[in-house]
Amino acid sequence: MSNQTETSVISVKNLTQRYGKGRIIYENLSFEVPRGRILGLLGKNGTGKTTTINILMGFLKPQSGECKIFGEDITCMSASTRSRIALLLEGHVQYSFMTIRQIERFYSQFYPKWNSEAYYGLMKKLKVTPEQKISSMSNGQRSQVALGLILAQNADLLVLDDFSLGLDPGYRRLFIEYLRDFVKNEGKTVFMTSHIIQDLERLIDDCIIMDYGRILTQMPVDELMSTLRRYSYSEGNLPSGDGIFSPWHTGNENEFYSFLPESEVRILLDKQGIKPSDLKSEAPASLEDAFIGLTGRY
Amino acid sequence: MTKAIFFKELIKTRRVFWVSLLVAIIFAIYAIMCIRRVGTSHGVEHIWLIMLMKDQTFIDAIKYLPPVIGLAIGIAQMSPETQQKRLKLTLHLPYPQNKLIFTMICAGMVQCIFIFLIQAFIIGIYYYGVVTPEMASHVMLTTLPWYIAGLNAYLFTSAICLEGTWRRRIILSLIAIGVISVYYMQSVPQAYNGMIFGAVIFTILLILLSLYSVNRFKEGLID
Repeated sequence: MSNQTETSVISVKNLTQRYGKGRIIYENLSFEVPRGRILGLLGKNGTGKTTTINILMGFLKPQSGECKIFGEDITCMSASTRSRIALLLEGHVQYSFMTIRQIERFYSQFYPKWNSEAYYGLMKKLKVTPEQKISSMSNGQRSQVALGLILAQNADLLVLDDFSLGLDPGYRRLFIEYLRDFVKNEGKTVFMTSHIIQDLERLIDDCIIMDYGRILTQMPVDELMSTLRRYSYSEGNLPSGDGIFSPWHTGNENEFYSFLPESEVRILLDKQGIKPSDLKSEAPASLEDAFIGLTGRY
Repeated sequence: MTKAIFFKELIKTRRVFWVSLLVAIIFAIYAIMCIRRVGTSHGVEHIWLIMLMKDQTFIDAIKYLPPVIGLAIGIAQMSPETQQKRLKLTLHLPYPQNKLIFTMICAGMVQCIFIFLIQAFIIGIYYYGVVTPEMASHVMLTTLPWYIAGLNAYLFTSAICLEGTWRRRIILSLIAIGVISVYYMQSVPQAYNGMIFGAVIFTILLILLSLYSVNRFKEGLID
């Protein structure tokens, strides 16, 4: 076993999954989530983000491949391992037929490290009573209940599926700030997805960017932002080939993204008969720009 | 943890449970009133006579109630689990998954059995007061298949709710209708005495159907 695997909380090797017997969602997908890091899984709709979480949590049997969490095969995950994983389902799904007090009382029976103060501390920020039913709350309030429960579990790994779904900016910000403080202070590992990339930029250490059927890149966000470049020029055709992402023509400008330095890009363009006199290179302005740069506009 | 699971199940079903209990009591009282009416107008001897000569038990009013109660409790308990695929939350709890589902099913069955026992107790108390113990036992044995049908209805409803595909839900529903109708094919009192033991074993085995539905859910075999 490699040293990297030993320090990995999640390990996925050669995972292949299809929609039924039809289209491949991904083939031979492999990645690792290192201990103590916050990793964001980014991808367009339909690239398999939620499918990956469903597989990791044992709600979907993969067609092939091996997934391990805390070194344990996810297809036969023990109850003790599940107690170390806090799960947030897409849409902050919870037992909405319970009240704020009932749901805390219920979950507290299952988790040995349960921290009621973390839950009720967050609940104080909401204008709700302990006897209020979760189903009578707004989306934003429900998200805070789900977050409070996750924090109270005091789990070693947090798996969050599209936490920003249905939240207004205020609740998204509250969610992110609470989560970031908790995760950084407690040294937790987080594996998360979100369709709002700006939210993740404030939160994640590493990212995996998925395209249909494959991983485009996995690296720390800082490294991504410093190595990915947006190139633009006005004359000539659009380039193609390895190392060129999202070539795009808009107005009088051609643009593409690449991890290659400018000198190598010039050689590559030259080989394809493109000799721009005004080639410009700049860093992506945001993680969202980098994401669009790698995955394309549609 | 088992207590916590029962707590969750009771929160989901408590309204339906109390309504079902009330309805079961009302139906039991209604059945008793029917017998009393016959007794008042024709005398208690007439009740004896009808029971012995015409194989009547005077409790047909409650006949179809147990499956309706089983259906109501099953839906109240399991449909919140399937809405928004909330079953994922339940399966993620740090508790052995099969034991968890089994405990949930037990919680529902305990509620059904409690309601059925209360109803049977009310009817039994009355009958043991007006007819011979043998005749009262004859009535109670006649009701037994209906209560077993109620438990079957509950277990089928649970499995149907937990099943992830509509195709299988429809197939299971048709099987459930077929199985439950078997308990009502014979109208002669105690006609099912010979199959009570088999029906109880079948009912216990039906618990496995919900476990099977959940395992299919875990494999992603859902719509």
